Amino acid sequence: MSSSTASARLLASSSLISQGAEAKVYKGTLTPGGVPIVLKYRFKKTYRHDSLDATLTKARVAGEARALLRCLRSGVNVPGIRMVDASEGILGIEWIEGNSVKHLLPSGAAEDVDGDEEVPTGLHAYTLEDYGLSADTLMGLIGVEIAKMHLADIIHGDLTTSNMMVRKASSQLVLIDFGLSYHSTLVEDKAVDLYVLERAFASTHPDSEPMFASVLSAYGKQVGKEWPALRRRLDEVRLRGRKRSMVG
Amino acid sequence: MESLSFPQFEARNSQVSVALFRNVANSGALKLRIISASTTEGDLGEAEREAVKFAFVDARLITSKLHLETAIYQAILADSQGALRTRTVHSEILYLLNPTHNITEAIRRYGVSETSTDVIVVRVDSPDVTPDEVQKKMETVVEATISPFGELENVTDWASIKRYYKLNGEVVIKEAAKNPPKEHAIIDEIVTSSVAMKSVMG
Repeated sequence: MSSSTASARLLASSSLISQGAEAKVYKGTLTPGGVPIVLKYRFKKTYRHDSLDATLTKARVAGEARALLRCLRSGVNVPGIRMVDASEGILGIEWIEGNSVKHLLPSGAAEDVDGDEEVPTGLHAYTLEDYGLSADTLMGLIGVEIAKMHLADIIHGDLTTSNMMVRKASSQLVLIDFGLSYHSTLVEDKAVDLYVLERAFASTHPDSEPMFASVLSAYGKQVGKEWPALRRRLDEVRLRGRKRSMVG
Repeated sequence: MESLSFPQFEARNSQVSVALFRNVANSGALKLRIISASTTEGDLGEAEREAVKFAFVDARLITSKLHLETAIYQAILADSQGALRTRTVHSEILYLLNPTHNITEAIRRYGVSETSTDVIVVRVDSPDVTPDEVQKKMETVVEATISPFGELENVTDWASIKRYYKLNGEVVIKEAAKNPPKEHAIIDEIVTSSVAMKSVMG
């Protein structure tokens, strides 16, 4: 991005909090002294042709913003949108004061060395007790939120415990990072979404089976009549993995 | 009157002044003045356009300060990229507040009209113009006194906003209907986010 644009100057005044392969995430404010926001900057990918890069970046910023608005309209707890500059690849969203679920569950963030986590919150490491939540209640909140999202036919695409936060003020569960989300009514896509989360639980948190079972039971209650079909499909997906066979 | 600065934008658009005027006596005349200023030619036209170089927003359709500021930010951003859909940064604010792409409808709904009694006046300008000067200019065109912005909560017309944004069918709004503060917070977040992402609404 040229440093002469308004959004480039906005990023320059913000602080980098994490970097992935697709985007850099900053904390900043739109006006000096204003409320903090998260700025997700999909930087230029030099390995792609210029015009393809511009088209893809724009489409992905737009897609993420649309998914967030769709969630908001459907009552799914997600961060609100604060600014969009699609041509520069920037999405500004509400700053959620709180912790990621990964951080709050046993042996998640403790040995986190991949830098894929939020900035340290200071001296005090927050625990579930600080939020007045038990692990089981939290699992229930996760199940309900994912169910609300699936009822709105939104597939998250990257459900992990790092992509869920608990709000400090309300102990509300908030789903974040809709960068890989898409719209679908298919049972298959919803089942794979759940399967991805199950794998994430298993690889991030030891002895996660009972935790994930609570997530599913809350999910099932919330989705209602679609649940038996979804559960059957999830069993199928577990046997074959995330990708469908390309044979036949 | 409240001032906001946006140092990331070029100087001519980096200072924003916002004021809520209540019990406005001349809203009908004000609307006619804005219309005639846009078509008057010569030096008189220039002077008239300068006199009404504000966004006059019907305060009934604003849910919060953040809602309005989001529209202001996206309007200045569009201007900085040469991407205005309307003629000026001030009319762009009205355009962004409306959920559709129809400019006439946006101005009719969100702009000042004969029935407006509470009007939010916004000026996007350079920091060279002092807040006092801006406020004097506002008070010259609007026949009313400035009220604290917090009074907005007594002005917002939630029913109209729900209608314009087609929120009456949404389950989450129906569920919160018995709890007005909760309902209002949900609506505020939806409309603020809608304004922020209007450029990619599709």
